[in-house]
Amino acid sequence: MAEGEEEVRIARIIACFAPGSAGSPEAVARLAAEMQAELLGLFIEDVELLRFAALPFAAEVGFPSAARRSVDLAGLERQLHAQAAGLRQALATALDPTAVSWSFRVARASPENAVEAALAEGYAPALIIPPRGNPRAERRVLRRPEISEEALRALLRSVQPVLILPA
Amino acid sequence: MNPPLPAEALRLRCDPAQFEFATTAELADLDAALGQERALGAIEFGVGMRNEGYNLFAMGPEGIGRRTIVRRHLEAQAKTLPPPSDWCYVFNFKAPHKPRAQRLPAGQAPAFRDSMARLVEELRTAVPAAFETDEYRNRRQQIEAELGERQERVLGEFGERAKAQNIALIRTPTGFGFGPMSGEAVMEPEEYRKLPAAEQKRLEELVTRLQEELERVLHDLPKWRRESMRKLRELNREVTRAAVNSALEEVKAEYRALPEVQDYLAEVQEDMLENAEAFRASKDGEPVTLFGIPVARADAPEATLRRYAVNVLIEHSGAAGAPIVFEDNPSHDALLGRIEHLSQMGALVTDFTLIKAGALHRANGGYLVIDALKLLAQPFAWDALKRALRSREIRTQSLGQALSLVSTVSLEPEPIPLEVKVVLVGQRLHYYLLHAYDPEFAALFKVAVDFEEDMPRGPQNDLLYARVVAAFGRKEGLRPLEGAAVARVIEQGARDAGDAAKLSVSMQALADLLREADYWAAKAGRAAISAQDVQRAVDAQVERLDRVRQRLLENVLRGSQLIDTAGARSGQVNGLAMAQLGGFAFGIPQRITARVRLGSGGVVDIERESELGGPIHSKGVLILSGYLSGRYAPGRPLSLSASLVFEQNYGGIEGDSASSAELYALLSSLAEAPVRQSLAVTGSVNQHGDVQAIGGVNEKVEGFFDLCKARGLAGGQGVLIPRANEQHLMLREEVVAAVAEGKFAVYAVGTVDEGIELLTGVPALEVHARVEARLSEFAERARAYATGLGGKPWQKAKKK
Repeated sequence: MAEGEEEVRIARIIACFAPGSAGSPEAVARLAAEMQAELLGLFIEDVELLRFAALPFAAEVGFPSAARRSVDLAGLERQLHAQAAGLRQALATALDPTAVSWSFRVARASPENAVEAALAEGYAPALIIPPRGNPRAERRVLRRPEISEEALRALLRSVQPVLILPA
Repeated sequence: MNPPLPAEALRLRCDPAQFEFATTAELADLDAALGQERALGAIEFGVGMRNEGYNLFAMGPEGIGRRTIVRRHLEAQAKTLPPPSDWCYVFNFKAPHKPRAQRLPAGQAPAFRDSMARLVEELRTAVPAAFETDEYRNRRQQIEAELGERQERVLGEFGERAKAQNIALIRTPTGFGFGPMSGEAVMEPEEYRKLPAAEQKRLEELVTRLQEELERVLHDLPKWRRESMRKLRELNREVTRAAVNSALEEVKAEYRALPEVQDYLAEVQEDMLENAEAFRASKDGEPVTLFGIPVARADAPEATLRRYAVNVLIEHSGAAGAPIVFEDNPSHDALLGRIEHLSQMGALVTDFTLIKAGALHRANGGYLVIDALKLLAQPFAWDALKRALRSREIRTQSLGQALSLVSTVSLEPEPIPLEVKVVLVGQRLHYYLLHAYDPEFAALFKVAVDFEEDMPRGPQNDLLYARVVAAFGRKEGLRPLEGAAVARVIEQGARDAGDAAKLSVSMQALADLLREADYWAAKAGRAAISAQDVQRAVDAQVERLDRVRQRLLENVLRGSQLIDTAGARSGQVNGLAMAQLGGFAFGIPQRITARVRLGSGGVVDIERESELGGPIHSKGVLILSGYLSGRYAPGRPLSLSASLVFEQNYGGIEGDSASSAELYALLSSLAEAPVRQSLAVTGSVNQHGDVQAIGGVNEKVEGFFDLCKARGLAGGQGVLIPRANEQHLMLREEVVAAVAEGKFAVYAVGTVDEGIELLTGVPALEVHARVEARLSEFAERARAYATGLGGKPWQKAKKK
């Protein structure tokens, strides 16, 4: 537990999921159940990704197969839709039998905008779990005013969860 | 003329006065097999010979105590031998389908099995605990983080390089893509389309090059992942090794003196390190079900851990000596053991824990006793036993596998060395048949243990017999026998032996008689078994089996079967046959008649012609022709045609014991000397006219006596027996009493002359003279026919 966190009761966990790194909904759900905090599953359809898929020569190199294949917007959207549905189902399976209050949302925006919008809804203090984050890893603690858009972008690329305290 | 035998010659009594005891309670036990010195010597020899092939075949009729005697001797010998090794089957890590046979000192196998089970149980706690430590978790995270960082670093560097060329690296759900940038973001498609064609082409080529570069970079990622996995495996092995070594040390120390076990444990150690995951899996996972029915899974952790189990095939905890196994159902599998199967998802599977021991495993290092007939009756069991004895090892395989009928994968357990002495118990016929028809038999069963059926009778043996009776009574909890009862038992023993000078050693018959006499003594409320109780038991035995004899006697008494017991008639003699039904033998009088006439056909046996006579009977009749020719027509052809028949015989006849009766009928007919129907005859005859011994003399005499008694004993009735059978007489008390009172007679005859005199009342010389005269007359007439008619009259008659 990070310094300064001892007395804090987390009101909301914002678990971010991104198309390239779906994370572990079960681990997130377990954490929410332990903390008795409300959970928001936030699936971020990055606009950058959608813009890329709309390019006429869009192609991807598979990871880790290293196989090259073309990408089209419609196919990508179907893929995103399926991934989001899978995540929602996984969270439902893990959380429905518990008393944890939870919701799931798909946001088509940049990651930082999507999280910013979620933070704006209140529920402080909130714990943000980045898309490639480890829910059990050591947390960083920040106060709401300290977070610039640039800082939030950097935080969302990290594996460390971030506890956002009110001003 | 021969006098009848005195009454005392008809039954050799056992005098109770010779016994100095009041009841058998005073007698010491006799733990010996009476009259079986030869068999005992053979057993001692066979058991003592440790060389290959010196297995035993104990032969003799049922009920003489072969198994008991063999068991007693084997038990005495087994006590002097050390208990053999225990045997287990364990997993063969090098060849899983060939389970490894593991030898352990006697009695140690169960402890070894428990040690291994405890080891696995301990590791199921210790291994997961080792993986829960901070040390392990941190090191694992470090390895995983290394991989992640390495990947991120490479991808990050690649992204930076692309960005330097104004191209963004974008993470897609399944990989990475490249898009031209406009400012800090990916270029909008509309903006891209507005670019000059040359610029679009440049960007596309740039993206294609970057994709190719990324491909090359990503090709290295699986290698890094493998490297990371190897590090993780090493870490897992290291952690498992610490837990396994610590737990295994104890087991290794326990079996330090057994190098084979040490080898096995070393293999176990290595395998446990390879399969550490099985120890980490939860014991209480969700069971796999098929239509709601739980099913076992071959790949379940439990299945993996089964390989460390020890299947104790045979163990000798608490054994005081070598094992003795009596196998009552010597089937192929019961001898060699079997490999059981479990149903798993509709298929039958097996492993080394399902190998079960057979009789050879249980008897290994000791003795195996099998009933020969049961063994031979079981398909392929005899071959399997021979194969095991020849190869001196037990190779457990199913019959289907042995015969190549089953082609599915199965186990081939490592053979177990075999050191066993096999005792086959069977009848003499089986021994001689095997010896004659199985070339391997003589090499594998070199020791014949031939049990006697009787023993000589005399005061010394009578006393020994009394002690056997006493010992048996005590063992069975029967009442003691009075001296007179013992004497009666001995007399019955002689009767069972069919010889006044012998005693039957059939322990089964003796045991039955004693138990039944005890029953009757109990019914009579006696504290000790008396001679009356023994007699009652004998009578009751007869009565229970007597129905057929009674019906046959009734037939004669009611005139359905013609047997005279008074008067005289030429060419008709009362013969005596013996029947044996369900272990009960009895004599039946049988009318034999002879008719003679001129001819050259010799003696015609109607029984043989009608295929009712057996070969020995036919031989007896053919001997009669020899007697007649030699006695009456040595220098001329015998111009006689005679026919002989067992009247009202519809069931076949065998044996030559009636040949003397047939000869008397012939002579009576030829001499026209009527035969006394109050007499019956038994005995075979040779070509010189000597009367020879037959079997069942007692039953035959009693058979005629019973008929005469039923019609009223008139005094002149009796039986002619061969003199050689006099020694076999052990007749019933009532027959002896009737003879003593002069109401019945038994004559011992040595020659046909003696017999014909008794039967006809005519001196033998006169009978012979009459026969000779009759035959001469036949010869004369035959010659006259031949001279007058130019041929044989009967041939002419045939032509007409």
